[in-house]
Amino acid sequence: MAEVIAQSGFTGKQTAQPATTFSLFPRPTAKTGIVSWLTTVDHKKIGMLYGGFAILFFLIGGIEALMIRTQLMVPNNRFISAQLYSELFTMHGTTMIFLAVMPLNAAFFNLLIPIQVGARDVAFPRLNSFSLWVWVVGAILLNVGWISHFVPSWNFGGAPDIGWFGYAPLTSKSFTPDLSTDFWVLGIQVLGISSIVASLNFIVTIINLRAPGLTMMRLPVFTWMALVTSFLLVLALPAIAIALIMVMFDRNFGTNFFEVSGGGQPILWQHLFWVFGHPEVYILILPPMGYVSEILPTFARKPLFGYPIVVFSGVAIGFIGFGVWSHHMFTTGLGTVATAAFALATMAIAVPTGVKVFNWIGTLWGGRIVTRVPMMFALGFIWMFMMGGLSGIMHSAAPADAQQQDSYFVIAHFHYVLIGGATFALLAAIHFWFPKFFGRMVPEFWGKVSFWVIFVGFNATFFPMHFLGLNGMPRRTWTYDSNMGWNEGNLFATYGAYLLGLGIFTYFAVLVWSYFKGEKCGNDPWDARTLEWSIPSPPPEHNFAAIPTVHARDAWWYEKTHKAEIAQEKAAHIKAEESHGGIHMPDQSWYPLFAAIGLLVGGYNFAQLHHPVTMFGQQVLASHLPLAITGLGLMVASCYLWALEGPGGYHLHIDAEGKVTESRGDHH
Amino acid sequence: MTRIRFDHRPFSRVTRALVAGLGLVLLSGCKLADIFDLSGNQSTMLTAGPVAKAQWDLFMITVYVCTFIFVVVGAILAYTQIKFRARSESDEHAEPPPEAHGNPFVEIGLIAASVALLVIIAIPTLRDIWYTHDVPEDEKGNAMEVVATGYQWWFKFEYPTELVKLPNGGEAPLVTGNELVVPAGTPIRVQLRTIDVIHSFWVPKLAGKVDMMPNRANFLWFKADKPGYYYGQCAEFCGESHAIMRFRVIALSPRDYSQWLENQKSPARTVTPALLANAADRSAHVQFAAMKLKAGEALAASPAFDADPLNAWREMQHPEAGEDAQLIAQGRQLFSAKTCVSCHSIRGHEGVGISGPDLTRVGARSTIAAGVLENTRERMHAWIKNPNHFKPGNKMWFGGYNVKDGDDWKPNFTVNDQEIDALVAYLHSLK
Repeated sequence: MAEVIAQSGFTGKQTAQPATTFSLFPRPTAKTGIVSWLTTVDHKKIGMLYGGFAILFFLIGGIEALMIRTQLMVPNNRFISAQLYSELFTMHGTTMIFLAVMPLNAAFFNLLIPIQVGARDVAFPRLNSFSLWVWVVGAILLNVGWISHFVPSWNFGGAPDIGWFGYAPLTSKSFTPDLSTDFWVLGIQVLGISSIVASLNFIVTIINLRAPGLTMMRLPVFTWMALVTSFLLVLALPAIAIALIMVMFDRNFGTNFFEVSGGGQPILWQHLFWVFGHPEVYILILPPMGYVSEILPTFARKPLFGYPIVVFSGVAIGFIGFGVWSHHMFTTGLGTVATAAFALATMAIAVPTGVKVFNWIGTLWGGRIVTRVPMMFALGFIWMFMMGGLSGIMHSAAPADAQQQDSYFVIAHFHYVLIGGATFALLAAIHFWFPKFFGRMVPEFWGKVSFWVIFVGFNATFFPMHFLGLNGMPRRTWTYDSNMGWNEGNLFATYGAYLLGLGIFTYFAVLVWSYFKGEKCGNDPWDARTLEWSIPSPPPEHNFAAIPTVHARDAWWYEKTHKAEIAQEKAAHIKAEESHGGIHMPDQSWYPLFAAIGLLVGGYNFAQLHHPVTMFGQQVLASHLPLAITGLGLMVASCYLWALEGPGGYHLHIDAEGKVTESRGDHH
Repeated sequence: MTRIRFDHRPFSRVTRALVAGLGLVLLSGCKLADIFDLSGNQSTMLTAGPVAKAQWDLFMITVYVCTFIFVVVGAILAYTQIKFRARSESDEHAEPPPEAHGNPFVEIGLIAASVALLVIIAIPTLRDIWYTHDVPEDEKGNAMEVVATGYQWWFKFEYPTELVKLPNGGEAPLVTGNELVVPAGTPIRVQLRTIDVIHSFWVPKLAGKVDMMPNRANFLWFKADKPGYYYGQCAEFCGESHAIMRFRVIALSPRDYSQWLENQKSPARTVTPALLANAADRSAHVQFAAMKLKAGEALAASPAFDADPLNAWREMQHPEAGEDAQLIAQGRQLFSAKTCVSCHSIRGHEGVGISGPDLTRVGARSTIAAGVLENTRERMHAWIKNPNHFKPGNKMWFGGYNVKDGDDWKPNFTVNDQEIDALVAYLHSLK
């Protein structure tokens, strides 16, 4: 057996092969400055960029929401036009899902997964950089239409106005002839590429790069949920990718997938969309369940209650999550049997979700609950998520759902899940891990002020919406008449939304202040349990001086209680690693960024394929095709050069005093 | 081992009391009770038929079960948070509690309890899926069929079994727009169709919604227990003016219904000077310059109308006082001259178009512009004057008043206030 392995070349004992490499540019090596950020392959820097962009879009999506609430503040309002309203609610949904919550989760995947599995980076660092920049490209394509409102000569028809769900045949050229839908289709498509690439990267990282002793059942729950989420993304996104390609072909090349006049079936879009769209709900909420499962044990000062059950229920949610999509379509005339099947499946998924809540309470039970700000958000998460989950169970009763579907009751429900749930957990996570990645604490007082303002504002906004929905107010409506009994609820909800906005503003303003002025902290300010708290704050480029050996589920907690044993182990690891040439680090690269720019040029021009190119009022090209091909060419060339460039890399050496030196040798 | 760092408690008792007090003041300032009021025109609680009632009753079962779960789990969570809260610094610094990882009996017990509670919801859910799906077998013989078709942004209603004579001698189903009139006590099976994008047919007091899907033969059923005037609205986003794609269902006693039907089936009413009994009524003619709306007043119903909508609707079925035969004749002529006829039908008169609502008896409808504006002379005047103000993107404005010129729109025709007065007089004579 050993011989077979040796022959297969998988023993890692081969001498390095002299590889043929070629690069147009010298490889970037800057550690600071703009180039270091543009070419970075460091998972922590990439995580920060994801987080920064995501928070920016979170605030933009919030402003869109406040404009929507202002329009609905009073009946028959004329604050904004019906057209702008459609654009705002489309972009509010698209932004919050694809450009705020998903990339915030991606930020934490990047920041935490490699450290929690005891690795020095993700499995494919340059691919990670590619995911980030492709995501930025998708965000630009989605939002480029706003320009039309300010520069009328850029006639994209405004931002997308077909809803985040883009139901055919409203996306047909007959009903939305302008370019906004083309940009929406390409933008979502490009974001999908980013997510699939990133997910594959995380799956390989979690499965292959775990530190010695870190068995799957010792994996921190957050990393487990990230793994499940990554699988969901890889399996769910192809459905929407196919559906978007169909829309693209219908709009540009005369196919009839959804074109009613050509015998197309708009219902097909809904099935494909929700086969993606429902797992997407769990893609948004599973990582937050992971944060909470880390934060609760830390501040209850107890390990997570029922770890295996929490993990398996996460996996079960992942599986069942693929079998409930049609509960978004109870009113589309599915027929009795399909409706019954999806109603029962939807009830079934409530069980593993409930199990998680029970285990979080079990974690708190008998603990010493220290109510720091992250813990308050985490507890707020449990309460609000319970409300959102229970109103979800109400929807599983399909005949009752026929009244609630597309009403404000649904808006209340999913905002309790996505703000009270996902966002509360994300705010908890940002506050919890901020000291780790910036080395400074966020002040408790202002953290608590923001928590209470957000908590009250959120409930004031969304609790009345349950009643608006039961009182018959449909969603996605630009205005309403004054004799419907919706005036007071809407007014109250709008005041609540302003309060919520104030709370969110306070929260992030305090973060900015803390970044500059916050009190400095050490490795482990919360007395926490997982490996990221064993390394300095902020973590060094190489994360671990010595790759840890994991002996228990809460690896760092074990290290804290077995110091002598661990110290010996670490000394041995450092020695072994140095004898292999030191700590191997990946090199930075321009090509992921260039490939993404190629995609941007290609996507931007492909969206306007059949339109002439004009410059200074003169037509210079009959169509955008040559420019789209140029972008595609740039992307292909960048990928090719990326391969030719070789992985590269350098070594770090840590001496007895902990001083780090860098060496570039012949190792590749 | 590092310790969690401690701050002093950030909120004093005084601060907390102040915040709580402020909250109470804010709450009492609003009419809090109104927020939770469920007695609106589209209430899903004040049901008026067996389908909506089944749906509300099922909803209440889910509310009971979920409230039970919330109260029990919430109580345990609240107890845990209070009981195990670290109360002092020394509490927080105390040795961590013993490491415990879970208990299989607790887990299995809770899973079993959850499943049991879900079964309570599942059984009536299954029963009602079948009940609400189609007219029950024993009532099928008694049921009436209508066809509802969604257009951007209005509803067409057809009565396939009620045929009317066409000028060419043929027969066609009776067609109305935006007001579906049905007999109370009869199960109504609505065939749901759409001419363009997806719409959804929703009259909350009568039945939950079902979508009007292109290339798909959807349907729903409802029964109005007693005569009444019910609000409905499109419930699937269908483009720019989705919010103002509304309609009404008017349920009448069987006798009133057959009377209404008889009147509907006859050709459009033609007003001649001879028909007007009292020429002195001409003095009642008023010029309508612009619609004025009091602050907070509803567009679709005046308070007087809302007080007894069914009766107000009945009033509208009769010819109005103050009809001016000359003005009406001018309106009828303008209806052709301004090309209204190419989109609207007025059976027995000139109109033959089918892409806009049938206007054969538009004067007898309680609303215009798809349930958006009360059908008063003032509001109809305002609507004809600037339809795009009330319904952005509508096809009367884009396609009628304005036509496409390359990528832009150019005016096709205009109407002045006097012409609108004539058109209003004509349309309001169509009872």
